[in-house]
Amino acid sequence: MTISRRSFIKGGAIFGGGLAIGFNLSGCAQTEYPHFSATDLQPNAYIQVSPSGQVILQLYKSEMGQGVYTGMATMAAEELNMDPSLIIVQHAEFYPDFRDPEFYVMITGGSSSIKYGYTILREAAATVAAMLKTAAAQYLSIAESALNLKDGKVVYAGGEVDFATLLPIARGLATPTEVTLKSPQDFQYIGRHRQRLDALGKVTGKSEFGIDVQYPGAMTAVLLRCPHFGGKVSSFDASNALKMSGVKSVFEVDGAVAVLAETYWQARQAAGVVSVVWDKGPLAGVSSESLRVERHGMLTSEAGKNVEEKGEASAATGELFEAVYDVPYLAHATMEPMNAVAVATKEGIEIWTGNQSPDIALSEIADATGFKREQIRIHNHMLGGGFGRRIMPDYLVEAARIAQLSGKPVRLVWSREDDMRGDFYRPNATVAMSAMIDQSAVTSLQAKIVAPSILGGFVQFVTNTLLPQWLPKGLHKKIGGMASGSDPAAAEGIAHSDYEFPYMRTDYVEQKTTIPLGYWRSVGHSQNGFFIESFIDELAHQTTQDPVAFRLAHMAKDSRRRQVLELAAAKANWGNPPQGQFQGVAVHESFSTVVAQVVNVSIADGKIKVHKVVCAVECGMVINSDIVVAQMEGGIVFALTAALKGEITIEDGAVQQSNFHDYEVLRINETPEIEVYRVDSANAPTGVGEPGVPPLAPALANAVFAATGQRLRKLPLRLA
Amino acid sequence: MADLEFTLNGQQQTLSVDDGTPLLWVLRDHLAMTGTKFGCGMGLCGACTVHLDGSPIRSCSYPAEFVNGKAITTIEGLASSDENLHPVQQAWLEMNVPQCGYCQSGQIMSAVALLANNSAPNDAEIDAAMAGNICRCGTYPRIRKAIHRASELAVVQHYQPANTVKENV
Repeated sequence: MTISRRSFIKGGAIFGGGLAIGFNLSGCAQTEYPHFSATDLQPNAYIQVSPSGQVILQLYKSEMGQGVYTGMATMAAEELNMDPSLIIVQHAEFYPDFRDPEFYVMITGGSSSIKYGYTILREAAATVAAMLKTAAAQYLSIAESALNLKDGKVVYAGGEVDFATLLPIARGLATPTEVTLKSPQDFQYIGRHRQRLDALGKVTGKSEFGIDVQYPGAMTAVLLRCPHFGGKVSSFDASNALKMSGVKSVFEVDGAVAVLAETYWQARQAAGVVSVVWDKGPLAGVSSESLRVERHGMLTSEAGKNVEEKGEASAATGELFEAVYDVPYLAHATMEPMNAVAVATKEGIEIWTGNQSPDIALSEIADATGFKREQIRIHNHMLGGGFGRRIMPDYLVEAARIAQLSGKPVRLVWSREDDMRGDFYRPNATVAMSAMIDQSAVTSLQAKIVAPSILGGFVQFVTNTLLPQWLPKGLHKKIGGMASGSDPAAAEGIAHSDYEFPYMRTDYVEQKTTIPLGYWRSVGHSQNGFFIESFIDELAHQTTQDPVAFRLAHMAKDSRRRQVLELAAAKANWGNPPQGQFQGVAVHESFSTVVAQVVNVSIADGKIKVHKVVCAVECGMVINSDIVVAQMEGGIVFALTAALKGEITIEDGAVQQSNFHDYEVLRINETPEIEVYRVDSANAPTGVGEPGVPPLAPALANAVFAATGQRLRKLPLRLA
Repeated sequence: MADLEFTLNGQQQTLSVDDGTPLLWVLRDHLAMTGTKFGCGMGLCGACTVHLDGSPIRSCSYPAEFVNGKAITTIEGLASSDENLHPVQQAWLEMNVPQCGYCQSGQIMSAVALLANNSAPNDAEIDAAMAGNICRCGTYPRIRKAIHRASELAVVQHYQPANTVKENV
C-alpha cells in the first residue's frame, strides 16, 4: 500500500474536504519545532531519532487515561518494526502540525486521536523507517530489499547495524516524498499489543502529573473566586490572613483574590480568613429549578430552529404520543483538581500543567497577560482525568496572571470545592419527544430540544477576548454560527440518527441564560442518547413490541448499529434474565463508533441495583484490544454515576455541591459485573473514549421500566 | 510549630511544620514525595491513602503530629525497584488497571493493606475494603481482578501451605 505523503499532508483528502489546516508541514523549518534537536534525525514533527539511537515520539494528544500514550506509540512502532515499549514518549508542546483535522486547534477531544493518528503516525514513522533503511543500504552497500528494521536496529542476513551508527548518514538524506505503509495483515503490534505503556509509572507513583511538578522556589497560590458565576470581588480584607504563617501576599487578580504562601496548607488556611464582599454578577437569583421551569415554558413558547426534517409531515398519521425528559448539569470531577505551575519573566511565561488544548490556552494566556503566543510555553504532563474539563484554559490563565502580578514562580492548586464549583458543566436540557402512532404503526419521530449552547456559554462566560484572538479564521466563523443558536452538539445523537420512520424532525431551542458549560465525555450524546433511546423503548412498549426487535425493524438496513445490537442481545441472553432481574437495552452511535448495552437490574428496598452490563462495540480496526475494553468499562462506570447520582444544582447563580459527599460518584461496591464484546471490523479505527457513555442511562432506565413499570424521564434516576 | 519525628519508607524524618498540617502536605510540600495524591481534602476519595504502622489512613485529613514515632509507608516505599515490584503492583500491571492513574497510588495502598489482613479476599470483602477509594476512570472491575491476582502472586512469593485455599478466585 503506497500513499503519497505530500498529497496526504497537503490535501487531507482522505478525511473529506476542508480539512487541510491540520497538515501543513511546508514552510516550517525543523528548527521551528519546540522539540528541535540539532543532533537528531527529525524529518517530521512527530518522530525523531537521537544520536544514541533512541526513537522519540511526540505525544501530541493528552494522555488522560484513554490510552493514547500506548495507542500512539503502538502505531508508530508498527512501521518501525520495534516493540512499542522501546519508544520514548514525550508530551508534545504546541506546534501547528499537531492541530486536529476535525477541530482545527491542537486539542484532545471528540474521540478523534486514534481515528486520525492511525494515518498520521504510521506515515511519520514510515518516513523515519525509510530513511534509516536507505542509510543502512549506503552504509552496508547492500540492497534495501535485503534489509529490515527490528527493535531499533537494521537487520540483514549477515548481521545488524544500530540506528546510532546510521544517524549521520540518515541525517544527510532528503526526506522521501512517498512512503510505503504496511498492510494490516502484516501488523505485528497493532491489534496484538495488549500492555499499557504508561502503567508502570502509575503503579509506582512515579508518573508526573501537573500537580506533581517541582519548581525551585515556587510559592503555592490558592484563589478565592466569586461563588456566583460571572460575579467578582467588590472588596476584601486580608489583614488576618497576612499575619498567618508562611503567607507572602494577598492580592486581587481579575475579579478574584489570590493568596500566596509557602505551602498549600498555609495558603488554604489563610484563604479561609480572608473576608471578601462579592458582587454577585448577572446570574444572581438564577437557580437550576428556575432554568428548568423556563425550559419547559420554552417547549411551547419558542419555535426554535429546525435541525433536521425527513419525509412528509402528512405521513405522520394516527394519534400523538408525547413524553418530556430532563437532565441536570453535571460536573467532570476529575480526580486531580485543576492546577498549574507558572513562571513569568520580562521575556515571557512558562507553564507546567496537564491540559487538553495547549493551543487554546496559549491564546488565552496571551490575551490575559499581554505577551505574544510565541513568548509563552506550555509543558504538558499526565492528566489526572480530563473528560473534557481540561480543554478549558481557565486554570492556566489564572496561574499565569498570578505569576505575572506577583513576580514569583507559583503553583496554583484548586481545592476539590473550587473544582466542583468552578467547572464548565454538562448542559442541563429538556426535550419533548413525540411520535404519531397509527394502529400500532409508528409514523413519526420528533424531538424538540431546549438547552443552552455549550459554545454560547463559552463565548459568554469564559472570556470576551477569546473569540477574536485565538482561533484560525475558519473556526472563528464556525463557532460564531454555532453560538448563534445552532450548536450541533445540542442535537447530536437525536438528529441524523439512522432510525427510519415515515416522518422525522428535530428542532432546537437555545436557552440563553446559563452557567459556564463545557465538553463533558460524549458531549450532546450524553443526554441525547438517553432521550432518544428511552423514547424508542417507550414506542416499543406502546406498540407492544420487543425493544430489540422494534429497534431492528426501524433501523436502516445497512445500519452499523444492527450487528452491534444483535451481539449485545445475544451475549446478554436478552429476554431471559436471571430470576428476579429485569433487562433494558440501548444502542447508540457517537464519534463514529457504535455501542450497544444491555443492563440487568433488580429493585430492592426501593433502590435500583445494577447487576450486570453487557456491552458490544464496533470501532473499526483495533489498536489495543484491552484498552478498548477498558474504555467501555470506564465509560459505563462514568455513565452509571451520571444516571444514578449526578446532579449539580444552582441557587442564586452559585453551585450548591462542594465535594464527594454531596456530589457522589460510583464506588467499587456499586459497580456491576461488566462484559465487553467487540464486533470484528476491518474498517479504519475509530475512537472509544466517549462512545461507551451514551447508551448506559437509557438501557438502565429501560430496565427500571421493565422491573417497575415506572418510566423515569429525568436523570438522575429516582424511583417514585 | 509541630516538631515531627517519624520514619518514612524506612528512613528517619525530622522536621517542623505548622500546627495541624495534614500528613499529605508534609509529604507533598515539605518532602516532595508526590506519589501520594491530593483529591478531596476530606477523606472522601482515598487518593491520599498511606500506611501508618501498616494500617491505611487518609493522609489529607490526618494531622502530621499524630505520626510522631510511627512508621509511614507511601507508594514510593512499596517496592525496592521497578524490577522488584510488590505483588499488588505486579498484578496491577498484569491487569492493565490504571487509566489516568491519579487515584491508583491510593487504590494500591488500600489493596496492600487489605491483603495484609486477608490474604485471599472474596469480591464482597474487596468491595468493603476498597469502597473508600474513588476512581473516576472506572477501573473498579480491574481492581477486583487485580486483587485476586495479587493474592495468587503473594501466595507464590510467601508460600505458606495452610493459606493456599482461596475463595472466589
